[in-house]
Amino acid sequence: MAEPLPSSVRAWCLAAAMACLLPLLLQVQAPLAISLLVVAAAGIAMPRPLPVLVRLLLFASLVGYVLATHGLNLGRDTGCAMLAALLAMKPFETHKLRDARSLLGFSMFAPFAAFLQDQGPASLLLALPAVALLLHALAMLAEQRPGAPAVRLQRQRARTIGVAVVMALPLALAGFWLFPRLGSPLWGLPENTLGRSGLGERMSPDQWVEMFGDDSPALRVRFEGAEPARQDLYWRGQVLWAFDGQTWSRGLSPTPLRGPPGQPRVEPVRYEVSLEPTDRRYLVMLDLPLASPEPGYLRSDYTVASHEPVGQLLKYTGVSSTDTRVATALSPEEERAALSLPAGVNPRMRALAAQWREETADDDVAMVRRALEWIGEDFAYSLSVPPTGRNAVDDFLFETRVGFCQHFSSAFTNLMRAAGIPSRVVLGYAGGYRNRYGDYWVVRRMDAHAWSEVWLRGRGWVRVDPTAAVAPERVLDTVEDLARGEALLPSSFAPLFEIGDWARRNWNDLVLGFNAARQASLLRPLGIDRASGAQLTAAFAVGAGLALALTLWVLVRGRPAPRDPLVRAWQAFTRRLHRAGLAKHPWEAPLSFGERVALALPAQAELLRSLSRRYASWRYAPGELAADDKSRLIAELQRYRPVAANAPPGEHR
Amino acid sequence: MARSRDLIERFSERLAGLPLVRPRRPESLPIVIDRRRVYVLPTAFGLFLAVMLLAMLLGGLNYNNNPALLLAFLIIAVAHNSLVHAHLTLVGLRLIALHAEPVPAGQPLLLRAAFEASGNRVRAGLELRAGDEEAFLDLMPGERTEVVLALPTQRRGWLALGRLRISTVRPFGLARAWSWLRPESRLLVYPAPEAGVVPLPDPGGDGQSRRTRSHGEQPHHLREYRTGDALRQIAWKSSARADRLLVREYEATAQRELDLDWFTLGTLGHEARIRRLARWVIDAERQGSRYRLRLPLAVIGPGSGAEHRHACLRALALMPDG
Repeated sequence: MAEPLPSSVRAWCLAAAMACLLPLLLQVQAPLAISLLVVAAAGIAMPRPLPVLVRLLLFASLVGYVLATHGLNLGRDTGCAMLAALLAMKPFETHKLRDARSLLGFSMFAPFAAFLQDQGPASLLLALPAVALLLHALAMLAEQRPGAPAVRLQRQRARTIGVAVVMALPLALAGFWLFPRLGSPLWGLPENTLGRSGLGERMSPDQWVEMFGDDSPALRVRFEGAEPARQDLYWRGQVLWAFDGQTWSRGLSPTPLRGPPGQPRVEPVRYEVSLEPTDRRYLVMLDLPLASPEPGYLRSDYTVASHEPVGQLLKYTGVSSTDTRVATALSPEEERAALSLPAGVNPRMRALAAQWREETADDDVAMVRRALEWIGEDFAYSLSVPPTGRNAVDDFLFETRVGFCQHFSSAFTNLMRAAGIPSRVVLGYAGGYRNRYGDYWVVRRMDAHAWSEVWLRGRGWVRVDPTAAVAPERVLDTVEDLARGEALLPSSFAPLFEIGDWARRNWNDLVLGFNAARQASLLRPLGIDRASGAQLTAAFAVGAGLALALTLWVLVRGRPAPRDPLVRAWQAFTRRLHRAGLAKHPWEAPLSFGERVALALPAQAELLRSLSRRYASWRYAPGELAADDKSRLIAELQRYRPVAANAPPGEHR
Repeated sequence: MARSRDLIERFSERLAGLPLVRPRRPESLPIVIDRRRVYVLPTAFGLFLAVMLLAMLLGGLNYNNNPALLLAFLIIAVAHNSLVHAHLTLVGLRLIALHAEPVPAGQPLLLRAAFEASGNRVRAGLELRAGDEEAFLDLMPGERTEVVLALPTQRRGWLALGRLRISTVRPFGLARAWSWLRPESRLLVYPAPEAGVVPLPDPGGDGQSRRTRSHGEQPHHLREYRTGDALRQIAWKSSARADRLLVREYEATAQRELDLDWFTLGTLGHEARIRRLARWVIDAERQGSRYRLRLPLAVIGPGSGAEHRHACLRALALMPDG
């Protein structure tokens, strides 16, 4: 099969391959994607194959580049980037029929790899025309037989493909809905080597800039029943215990919660979260969660860890109460961690804490209130903050006095620890905005927030948000301002974004969320509450059978019958005679046919001759039949019924 | 034109020898292809794509990745429908005529096959294959299409057609749908005439040398043209004058006849005799003489003309092996 490829066929095959590559390129890193595009364009433009050594060298350098970008680890995104590199190299080698076939085979796999990374509607919308182009290239390849004449039905080809795709839809949908799904995966999804941006297990001053610019949704929440007030919408992610002078990290490894969860002092709220993939192992819950959601487990610090890294959209329900009494005792280990401060840094803060401790004696609550008052009097909120030095907290508290949640929570926690009150930093999200089209809340990545928790005797861990203590008139700029400033479109487009997000949420629910559990309840209208595998297979067989029957009917039907009512009436007339035993031969003209049946059925000879004569004159003689003549002829043709040959004349059935 | 076959095709041709494969016996024309004698198997490329699709399906099911599953099911459905489409392209096809002009052994035999189809589907991309030779055709509904295959010939006599294969890989080249045709038609191959300069035997009769006079001086008469007369014999000038076709018939040749005798070729072997007689027949016909062919089992002639030539060459072709 070393036949050369005609240039038009090569062009179509390469176009199909590039269209399949496009959704995959959108999932790899931008610089790598651009280099791959350049390589692919060079390969397309080259009419003759390069020497093997040059190709090997190019491929080796691409592989090296991919590995360098992903840091020598082999994860899911490395695999996708490798596939993209392979496809980008392929145009250099596509000059024979055999090469074109392998190119199309591998490019069919590319959209699938893209779906592993992103399941949004954009990827699917890009993949569908790619599949159409792929089918077109396959059809052109199938026509390439050596010695075959050039195809004279080029327009037919596009029509064939369109019809093929449309006719495949019933069978495809039957398979999608009814093919039995796996309840749990057979093997796990490899993790990405480059994690997505988002909340991690550390809080450092530099990580926030990227997050504040990201207005993509982090999670979408729908409340069942009453919704909490906006100021109570704190979303708990991670708890950080250890501070090294600049960065907060997890420190203590939390264990699964033992014993009963806290006592809600307010009516608990139920809600359903759909969490966008983060590649990390925590679930975001409303502060404070009371129970472990399905895919995770509640830990001793009331954060929820998930069993698997969240690589795909995850939906779970949660129960939380915004005011909860968590009256557990503090273990010595926890106390030690909650009071530890790095030695030798932030002396002024320590001095201040010591001074306040003297003034308030043993009253922890007064201490907290004192700190919050100070914040309200002297501090301002802004996102543009000069970088801090070695004594970060001192610089913030006594020099700049401007910052955002990172500074406030860090400084406050340090102050409390210096004053002997166990405290820790909580990382998560705050607020969100309500999408009125879909009746749900969207929490975006830029709503990331950090606050503190202090342990008060008799009350346990209590949430304190020092950032909220800033006086409103001292809020210099907010995240919204930043978003508005960087936004490409004016804010009057906000309803459009809301609708878009609502559409995306419906996509998530209906398309992405269809899993084994939902499939089991698919047959509920038929009375089967939870369909078993065997029932689903039977349903699939029935559905597939119906779809195939429809396909067969369309295919066998071929071209539709001619539109002219007179021709149709004549064909019905000949069919009736055929059933009576007098078939019209394909080569017989209407006149001679009429003559023949007139001889065979002498009782109706006159009528038959007249019908065939008029039809022949309409069909072949010049000039048009008058409209009422034509309709009369049609009526007579339709009315005609053959009489048995030996019936006496005048008798009609 | 010969073409290499891929693994699946070689496999399917080996399967054709199995007793269960239809058609089981040679059949008479017209051969109608019905749905029970159409076989569909994937091509190598189709198998490769099937493996890819299976991987996509398994991956999608495992990770419950719905867009991937949608895409996989869509492509699987399109591929499956293309199998049905290929099957339906062949069903209802009819081989209505097979015809081949006999040729001398060694020259390709041009087999003309005429196809027709029922229904109103367009059947595009059909391939007819006999041995290593292939021809391509497209069939429009209601039309009769003829296709020519050049079959190589080695021996004289009846050429066994064996199996013809009509197949298609369209629309997407993922699978080949084919049907075997075993027509009962017999095709005749004339013996190869002897090469080189071979003089015709002397004619009996007058003893007058036929080279002494040029053609124009020999006694001849003009008669009306009869269907079957060689175009060579038409007297154009006379015909133009008389405004109808006239043929010049030489009385000399009307009386003289050549005797092509098997038994005068005692020095040659069996096949060599046949070849020489074939050459004589061809030369005699070209010359326009009347000739009689004497064979051990038959005497043909005397006569001349295309039909006589065919009868003689046919008898020579069907001579039993010596």
